[in-house]
Amino acid sequence: MNALRSLLKLRRRPRLSAMDGFQKLLTLLLIVLSVFMLLPIVYIFNHAFKPYHELFLYPPTFFVQEPSLQNVNELLAVTARSTVPMIRYLFNSVFVSALAVLLVTGVSALCAFPLSKHRFPGAGFVFAAILLTLMFAPEVVQIPRYLVVSEIGIMNTYFAHLLPLMAMPIGVFLLKQFVDQIPDSLLEAARIDGASEFVVFLRIVVPVCMPAIATVAILAFQNSWGNIETSALFMLDDEMKSFAFFLSTLTNNLANNVAMQGAAAVASLIMFVPNLIVFVILQSKVIATMAHSGIK
Amino acid sequence: MASISIQHLYKRYGKDKQNVVDDFHLDIRDKEFLVFVGPSGCGKSTTLRMIAGLEDITEGEVYIGEQLVNDLPPKDRDIAMVFQNYALYPNMSVYENIAFGLRLRKQPRHEIDLAVRRAARVLEIEPYLNRKPKELSGGQRQRVALGRAIVRDPKVFLMDEPLSNLDAKLRVQMRMELIKLHKSLGATFIYVTHDQIEAMTMADRIVVMKDGIIQQIDTPEAVYQTPSNTFVASFIGSPQINFVEGKIVEEPGGNLLFNTSRFGLRIPKDSADLLRKHNKIGRRITLGIRPEHIGPEGLYSDSVLTGIYKVSELMGADRFLHLDIGQDKPLVVRVEAYYRCEENEKLRIVMDMSKALFFDADTGQRLTH
Repeated sequence: MNALRSLLKLRRRPRLSAMDGFQKLLTLLLIVLSVFMLLPIVYIFNHAFKPYHELFLYPPTFFVQEPSLQNVNELLAVTARSTVPMIRYLFNSVFVSALAVLLVTGVSALCAFPLSKHRFPGAGFVFAAILLTLMFAPEVVQIPRYLVVSEIGIMNTYFAHLLPLMAMPIGVFLLKQFVDQIPDSLLEAARIDGASEFVVFLRIVVPVCMPAIATVAILAFQNSWGNIETSALFMLDDEMKSFAFFLSTLTNNLANNVAMQGAAAVASLIMFVPNLIVFVILQSKVIATMAHSGIK
Repeated sequence: MASISIQHLYKRYGKDKQNVVDDFHLDIRDKEFLVFVGPSGCGKSTTLRMIAGLEDITEGEVYIGEQLVNDLPPKDRDIAMVFQNYALYPNMSVYENIAFGLRLRKQPRHEIDLAVRRAARVLEIEPYLNRKPKELSGGQRQRVALGRAIVRDPKVFLMDEPLSNLDAKLRVQMRMELIKLHKSLGATFIYVTHDQIEAMTMADRIVVMKDGIIQQIDTPEAVYQTPSNTFVASFIGSPQINFVEGKIVEEPGGNLLFNTSRFGLRIPKDSADLLRKHNKIGRRITLGIRPEHIGPEGLYSDSVLTGIYKVSELMGADRFLHLDIGQDKPLVVRVEAYYRCEENEKLRIVMDMSKALFFDADTGQRLTH
């Protein structure tokens, strides 16, 4: 019994009393930092439910005093007036984002695996080229992208939403670093067991890299969900544009900067919530990636 | 039939690079337990990986059974391999790890289940079938890796230092189990190790390698007793064989004497004939003698020499004395464990010269009849 008790004691998490001064200080610092990081999120939630007189209060308040659904109503009113129903924009965004997550993770993983585990002529060059593209600001490639999309004739289609998002260099980079750490013998064992290269990829590499894939999925989702560039450049019809684009138009092109602020506040909340949900679902895996890849 | 024929095998990484494996030529018999042994970087693993198909063959041919397998992918060679780091699939349970190869071969579900459970019973890992590899100890992981190999019932088992990550006690135990496994499976085993004890205890035949070149292929007894050169002699056996540098001189009576600056040892007739045949009289020679063939005076009749006692190592049943006899290296002598002596004490010892081996002082090759 005593042995069991001591075992349990050993397995208990270190308590505050067991920490030394430095650890306590560090914990305190991290708590302060996390509260600081949390502030914008709390602000977005509160902002969405502030009535107009609170939205423009000076000095601005952080927490909502008299929560109301006034802003939601305003947004609904705006969308009711617009020619394309809001649900269409929402569908476009969800559809494109879901596909983008699948395609980006798939393409990145399929690219990372051979770069990491296969020797072929030009492998170093290809990887260097991918790293190089990391250094371009998105604005730099807008014109070439437009030319490509228009030349291959996919303007005003979902392909034009997806194509520019599909190649995500940071995703390839992250996954390659992760695949690098898989011991070669694991893949060799699978090959001897009778697996083809694709089976090795699908049954061994992908499951082992799940944390990294989750991270890439989050990045891809954020990239695609908040994307207004493809809608602005490649979509001619309103019903092909994304939800993010629609929301950005709410406050743009208006003569005064008071109108629609309430609707915009709710809109930012709506834009933010899916990101939060995706992150919460995948977060434990993401932390594993950071720990593994030495990025953090 | 799973004999393996390796015909003049070469491995080079790059055109003008050195040969990692150099003219490896060997016929492995069906059901043989063959061990490749050598220091790290001697090309033993590379050779094994070429047999497995994990490494391209630069030159030469490998046959498994009657079939040329040079261009056959690993999965079509009917082999199984056990890796040093076990290489278990971390995302699968023990059961799935063992079943993976069978599933890929599209065997019926009930057959897979039967085979996995049978392998698990043989290796005593039945209680862990639902666990993930990371929840197992090193020894258990090694058993799972073996299970994954035996379940497929391959013609050839390839093992790349499978025991080197285990602790000493477990290693001895697994060694015995591997021998039993080999007997019960009746398959050909090729086993790579840098540990000469593993090679000696398990092998039907040992292949000693150095710098990509085969030094000797023989039974463990023959490799130990009649090593082909000084490298094999020193690599096999613990503690190492003693080498003594000296010169062969002829006594007036016609007897041959092995002479160093400190002492002379009479050479028995058999060895004397050998030395005469190789025309070594008056020449330098390396004499090799194992610690167990040297002992305190009184054990053997003649060839007495004196050494200064420096240190001793107690091994339990035996004690190894290190004596200074005026050579670069001390002479190691095996004595009974109770044997005691003072530091720097002069000891009179004798060598069993009938067991002495003679090596060419320049090439290191053993002189043979």
